[in-house]
Amino acid sequence: MNKKIKIMKYLKYIVLSVFSMTVSSCGEDFLSPKPISSITADTFYSSEKELETAVINMYDGIQGINSTSNDDNHGVQEEYILTEMRTDNSGTRSGEGEPARLESYSVESTNSTVANYYSSFYNIIFRAHVVLENLGVADSQRDRFEGEAKFVRAYAYFNLVRLFGEVPMPTSVVLQDNEGVLFTRIGTSTIYDLIVDDLTTAVANLDNTYKTRASQAAAQALLAKVHLTLGEYNEALPLLEPVISSMEFDLEENFEDIYEISNERNEEIIFAIGYDGVNQTDSQLFSAEMTANGRTSGLNYLPQNMISALENIGGAERAAASYQEDPKPQYAGFFQTKKFIPNGNPEASDPTIGGNDWIVLRYADVLLMHVEAIMAGNPSTSDGGAIASFQKVRDRAGLTDLVTTITAQELLDERRVELAFENHRFFDLIRFGVAETVLGDWADDQGYNFSVTDLLLPIPQREINLSKGQLDQNPGY
Amino acid sequence: MIAQSTVSGKVTGEGEGLPGATIRVQGTLVGTVTDIDGNFSISVASDAILEISSVGFTTQVVPVNGQTRIDITLNIDVSQLEEVVVIGYGTQKKSHLTGAISKVTNKKLDQIALSRADEALIGQVAGVTVAQTGEDGVGSDPTLRVRGVGSITAGAGPLLVIDGVAVSSDFFGSVDMNDVESFEVLKDAASAAIFGSRGGNGVIMITTKQGVEGRTKFTYSTFTGFQDVKNNPDYNMSVAEHANREMAYNEAMGNTPLLSDRTRYKQLIGDQNWQDVIFDGGVITSHSLSVRGGSAKTKFSTSLSYLHDEGVLLTDDFKKYNLKAKIDHKVSDKFSFGITVNPSYTNRRRFDGSTHDILRQEAWLPVYLDANTIQYVDRVAYPDAQIGDYAVQTMFNNYDLNGDGGEVDISGTSNTNPAAKVLEKEYRDFKFKVFGKFYANYKINDDFSVSTSIGGDMQDTERTRWQGSEADRRGSSRSFSYFQNSKDVHTVMDGFVNYDRDFGNHSISATAGVARETFRNEYSDVTGSGFEFDYIETLNGATVISGADGYNREKTLLSFISRVNYAFSDKYLASVSLRRDGSSVFGDNKKYGMFPAVSIGWRVTEEDFFNSNIVNDLKIRVSYGVTGNDNINSDYGNILDWYAYSALLEAESAITEGAVSAAFNPINIANPDLQWERSFEFNPAIDFGLFEGRISGSVDYYKRTSEKLLLEIPVSGVTGFNEALVNIGEVVNKGIEIELRTNNMRTNNFSWTTTFLAANNNNELTNFADASGQILSVDSKRPGEWINLVGNPISSFYGFVVDKEIPLEYINDPFSTVGGKAQHVYVKDLNGDGLIDGDDRTILGSPYPKLTWSVTNEFRYKSFDMSFMFQGRHGVSVRNIADEYMYNFFESTSSQQFNPATTPDQGFLKRKVLTNSIIQDGSYVALRNINIGYTLSNAALEKVRLYNARVFVSGQNLLYIKSSDYSGFNPETIRDEGPLAYGYNRGGSPIARKITIGVSVDF
Repeated sequence: MNKKIKIMKYLKYIVLSVFSMTVSSCGEDFLSPKPISSITADTFYSSEKELETAVINMYDGIQGINSTSNDDNHGVQEEYILTEMRTDNSGTRSGEGEPARLESYSVESTNSTVANYYSSFYNIIFRAHVVLENLGVADSQRDRFEGEAKFVRAYAYFNLVRLFGEVPMPTSVVLQDNEGVLFTRIGTSTIYDLIVDDLTTAVANLDNTYKTRASQAAAQALLAKVHLTLGEYNEALPLLEPVISSMEFDLEENFEDIYEISNERNEEIIFAIGYDGVNQTDSQLFSAEMTANGRTSGLNYLPQNMISALENIGGAERAAASYQEDPKPQYAGFFQTKKFIPNGNPEASDPTIGGNDWIVLRYADVLLMHVEAIMAGNPSTSDGGAIASFQKVRDRAGLTDLVTTITAQELLDERRVELAFENHRFFDLIRFGVAETVLGDWADDQGYNFSVTDLLLPIPQREINLSKGQLDQNPGY
Repeated sequence: MIAQSTVSGKVTGEGEGLPGATIRVQGTLVGTVTDIDGNFSISVASDAILEISSVGFTTQVVPVNGQTRIDITLNIDVSQLEEVVVIGYGTQKKSHLTGAISKVTNKKLDQIALSRADEALIGQVAGVTVAQTGEDGVGSDPTLRVRGVGSITAGAGPLLVIDGVAVSSDFFGSVDMNDVESFEVLKDAASAAIFGSRGGNGVIMITTKQGVEGRTKFTYSTFTGFQDVKNNPDYNMSVAEHANREMAYNEAMGNTPLLSDRTRYKQLIGDQNWQDVIFDGGVITSHSLSVRGGSAKTKFSTSLSYLHDEGVLLTDDFKKYNLKAKIDHKVSDKFSFGITVNPSYTNRRRFDGSTHDILRQEAWLPVYLDANTIQYVDRVAYPDAQIGDYAVQTMFNNYDLNGDGGEVDISGTSNTNPAAKVLEKEYRDFKFKVFGKFYANYKINDDFSVSTSIGGDMQDTERTRWQGSEADRRGSSRSFSYFQNSKDVHTVMDGFVNYDRDFGNHSISATAGVARETFRNEYSDVTGSGFEFDYIETLNGATVISGADGYNREKTLLSFISRVNYAFSDKYLASVSLRRDGSSVFGDNKKYGMFPAVSIGWRVTEEDFFNSNIVNDLKIRVSYGVTGNDNINSDYGNILDWYAYSALLEAESAITEGAVSAAFNPINIANPDLQWERSFEFNPAIDFGLFEGRISGSVDYYKRTSEKLLLEIPVSGVTGFNEALVNIGEVVNKGIEIELRTNNMRTNNFSWTTTFLAANNNNELTNFADASGQILSVDSKRPGEWINLVGNPISSFYGFVVDKEIPLEYINDPFSTVGGKAQHVYVKDLNGDGLIDGDDRTILGSPYPKLTWSVTNEFRYKSFDMSFMFQGRHGVSVRNIADEYMYNFFESTSSQQFNPATTPDQGFLKRKVLTNSIIQDGSYVALRNINIGYTLSNAALEKVRLYNARVFVSGQNLLYIKSSDYSGFNPETIRDEGPLAYGYNRGGSPIARKITIGVSVDF
């Protein structure tokens, strides 16, 4: 009996020691290791410096990821497929793949380039909302950050509303269960109200320190473009004039210097998206895609129509800097754009990591918008201010003949050859009210099937499926 | 006084001497054990009765009756009632099991020519399916499922436990089959619940071979053989056959009986079977040497092995080296300890391409240019082409075929040569793994003991990829060198208190303990590009470092475990277990989960009232248990998987004013309520034995409900994200498993046994919240759809139903490609409204097999033995997207398309990829294994001092009958597109036929 009690006593200690051996140093923290290679949001955004990383993050969103996978947001990198290639400016070299559907006006709602752009830009809007929600920690830079975030949000909504029409319009961070906001398409006038409001704040809060971050001039130029799109010519003029008179921007002497890789952020650039060709992280793929080195063996290639326009209207200097024949012997007879050759070097060791910046707004565009604002929708103008701006652009291009009147068609053509392949053509045609006729004729010429419903892209099928019937699709899809 | 004498003799079973068989004198404590050859010697009274028993054999009772020499032959115990089965944290006799546990002993499994241990389980356990889903050739992991698919995003594979330590399932590729003693599969929740946190999808336990007391035994086994792939005629049209079809079509249509320019040109260039090029077959060799032995106090088991499998695809290859050392030592009656260490190294070259992409090459293109084909090369575009270069399709364009100044083009793609895509790349995995365990047991008194162990595994995986300049049509601008290193360290520490007591008719065995586990992963990778030449393939040959990444992550698990097993009179059995697990992956209030289980059993045959001449064993058992799953495998990526509940930000950057600026980007929608996925399983069953064990088997019914599934649901992109990780949904798997073993014939010289296994599984999604009815597709270019609808399996194929093919006369240029077919097809108007739209879609099939079965027959005639297994599965469909590639369903040119000017009813046309044209029957019946062997006679062996030698011939997949509906290479292959879009069959590695010969000797 005694022996049993003794064993029981020792047993207690033995059991305890065995347990404690394994349970020791098992504190509360054992099951909550802190992440090593990422940070948790609940303790972040505690200072202005940390908030600035969220501001930079917005530009990273526009930059997009350099990859061929559709699961990655490509940001602005594929915008040219949805804009330039849907016009008479360019198309695919080979007629194959999904981009070919854009050029032949046979886009399906499952098109992955369309879906990627939609996801990318709503992700950009989300990043802007993160900044706006945490403005409280900002100190001296509060107004600037607010201006930048609103500029980015307006920029994103402006692209979405022009390409898709009515779209959902969250104005703050929205979670997946908020179906009201996620699946309600808001009327375009409401969206434009938000855009105008945001850009007005940006104009007030920003200055012209940066060219790859939002600036006052960028906000003014973009807001002017918004007003021109809405037909509000009188409101566009007082935004463009300060940009011109500020003397902060000017045209480059030689047209080809605008795109020179060692001359990035030159005096003509108002707003550009920065890229760096050092490695994968901050580089872009569109430079390679615009040559035969791309995945689809050549996008943004020129049809004869565009070559004639550049040669006949653009002038020798602009033609020479804008396009060239494909240097590969197998592709002789095909013509590609020359503005974004990867890292400026045709022999680049890895053309898929392009460092060429993407130009969103430049001074020549402002000058031509100035003409457009003065013309105010009339078939022509002879106003002195308009003539001066128009002449300046043409003089730089080596076309020094004196201009006395400018017709709408001439302005449209001038924009086409000056801003070729910079994603303006599609929106220009719509603004000038000739999209249906021009693209209709173009489609007939190429054997495509065009109808007016092709002017809007389809809401991605994925969104339609997830909305369980709440979202309506654009007509024609 | 009764005379004592010495009785000696030999115990044999299955024709060989049985070591370790027990001879006991009935009614006394006197006993002995046979030696390595089965001989024994015991001193007994002349009227004693001897009881001879051995694991796996039926016990025999023999009276001494004054004999001095008694030889006994034991019979195989088909019912395996006396067998000891390893269960979680302990062992139990099979007769006392109350859960659904199947044991597979390695009798000849190591003679199957395979490179991975999980492949050995095909057809061995009812309810366990092993599908050869790998895509990159030899060494790729198959998909192992126990009782259907329960989990969705969380990994759905079973937990692997080696010698009591839970390890990553990746170890199946490193274990040496020669060293495996047995597999135990814990199928129902009650058995797996003891492993609570990861037992949600079943547990597979591997027990490695132990040393045995007695003479040190050396064993050497080797096999070598050849494997190849049977030609698939559905995907293999020759140019000659194509020309005949075109001619026949022209005659039938009354056209001029001439072949088109393209076809005539192709006939001139060549006619090659590309399957012969890519499926080049290979040799498989294995060598294994083991030394096992021991004394009463110490037992050791060591082994060394080497396996080389050349795989059946061009360039794939697999080498495995294994070393193991295991020592168990009894210091005293109270204290024993042991250690096992098992390092292994594998070198695997993956097939760096996809079979569906490479094999869609038409038969006319050769691999290299030769004297005949060089004359057709377009010298303007390819001025430097020479004999011996890779042949590229576009080289043959612009050829003046008719001598009239015209130009004929035959290229269908501008891609490079398909063989070059694989030969000019190299993709290797080098894995160094160590698995080890140290344990100690201390017996406090007769009833109590404590045990503790420290174990773990470490894996160091190095991955290198190289792409050369000829692997892509864009040349050296696409060359790159990639290097990745991933190190995983996993440690387990546990301590248990055990209580074992038999008193009167009661028998209790209980255990309680704590276990803590840590996982740590360190990862880094670098990519170099900008190669002009192919001479140097390592990173120092790159001119640009185009990418680099690295991260560390950690995960921890803390568990409290307890179990009580109780038996009354060997008749009434019960088992109760409770496990509480905490995982670091979940939010602060949701870390812990409770996993209880209870099972009871009743051995009816032990009842006094039960008296039958036919039924010698009958056990009824019921179990109910709860298991969990925390193994998240999301698309977000590895870091999020282990910190899933928090809102995480990752480092990003942007270029501002020409310089890199730092940014932090939210990568997920946080979910602080993320918690354990749980499965509840109910399993009633009957185990029976008839005619003295000549027939035995079991029938199990199970119903497993998995709820709060860890799922990545697609969300609207307007949130800024495309997925969110939540607990949502409920899936029910139910089915029946039947195991039947029969001892058909047994004489001295001949025996024949049969094992029949069958399992049926039904998978149903019972709750998916608002997402029920969601439709998704995985490839925007080929948008075949799946639907996740409550009341149906987790994912079902969805789309249109084929009505009829488009007549060839409406197809533009129908013979432009060899083997090509029209992309569109007429579909049925299911709702009769006169037009085809989304409402004419319906569920087309299920990717989860309904029935799997296997039949194994084993024969023995004197020294010859033969066994063969047929195995099959039925009731499963696959979406064979390879058809789209092989039959050239593309819209890039207007040829092979329907003519929009002449084709009638164009509103009823849909692309085949959206219809059931590519939903095909994935059933098969295969002669999985056949093994014929001859055991050399003892007399012959003694002369060369060997104890046991057997030569054998083994064959795998000699017969593999696919459904006639299925046109692909391998109906089992699944491309992983996530659990919500299951069954995507895209080329994959083909089924290989293998024949090997081998020898196994003991000395």
